[in-house]
Amino acid sequence: MTRETAINDVRGEDAAAEFAMDEQTFRGFYERNARGLWAYLARTTGDRALADDLLQETFYRFLRAGAAYESDQHRRNSLYRIATNLAADERRRRAVRAPAGEIEGVAANSGAAAERTADLSRALAQLKPRERAMLWMAYAEGATHREIARILGVEAASLKPLLFRARRKLAALLGGKDLGGKS
Amino acid sequence: MKPPECQWESEVLAAVLESRWPERAETELREHAAACPVCAEVAAVAAVLATDREDLRSLAALPDAGRVWWRAQWRARCEAAAVAGRPITAAQVLALACAAGLTGACFGATSEWFQAALREFSVPPLLAEHAVLALAIAAFLVLLPAAVLAAIWRD
Repeated sequence: MTRETAINDVRGEDAAAEFAMDEQTFRGFYERNARGLWAYLARTTGDRALADDLLQETFYRFLRAGAAYESDQHRRNSLYRIATNLAADERRRRAVRAPAGEIEGVAANSGAAAERTADLSRALAQLKPRERAMLWMAYAEGATHREIARILGVEAASLKPLLFRARRKLAALLGGKDLGGKS
Repeated sequence: MKPPECQWESEVLAAVLESRWPERAETELREHAAACPVCAEVAAVAAVLATDREDLRSLAALPDAGRVWWRAQWRARCEAAAVAGRPITAAQVLALACAAGLTGACFGATSEWFQAALREFSVPPLLAEHAVLALAIAAFLVLLPAAVLAAIWRD
């Protein structure tokens, strides 16, 4: 067998890569989760372009993992775990402790919304990456403590105090601002 | 330090995440949150983050699911092809290294100029006696790592 025939056997048009789900299932899963995942990546990395790249890489690695999942929730948790690890790898690669915070485009909103976004960006930039991730998972995504522990790779028992401290820190950083959220 | 907890914390969080907070939340829950520092903090932080999440979601310019699927398929095939081709690449570079070593050995054995140079530079007798073999080994030792490195780079 020559190199070319070996490669062509693998690259052949009929040879669909073996993923854990079919295209139709993937499309549905992607539609349900991609926007939320992008928001998570954009907020935890502070970089829209990086979030774009990591999103595609996350879905690719998720498909390549080829694991079987009990439920859509498990799939989603796995997806976020992959994204969290990729963001951490990228952070180590760039050796940047905290992102710039401002996410281009979000701050382009007008008035109170822009100010609120800028305040949040600045506050989050002062937190550790893991704190940002756990706060987002808990209070933006509504994930349970067990899910967050799995996604972030921390002990479930230690999550509660970590989350409490992170929440307190963020509340203090946002202190004095209108925390009402909706504008 | 044990973090302070409140049994209504999850209710407040659910109300925020379901966009019921504060206007459409139960009056009792709102009154409780107004008096409970834990729930007030949860409501405040969750409201900011949940609103930000919605802002960000609206900004996301995502590629089509079909395109992501197609690109993943293509990449998986390329990676599989690279893995399939790796042993062949390794065999090719090994053969190249052997051929280069053999060529060097033949050159050493047949070149009068090379033999004369060995005599002129007062090479130790043992080495001079086995010069061809030494040259072949040296060539192999230099070329083999280079060939392996080339194979890895090629992948």
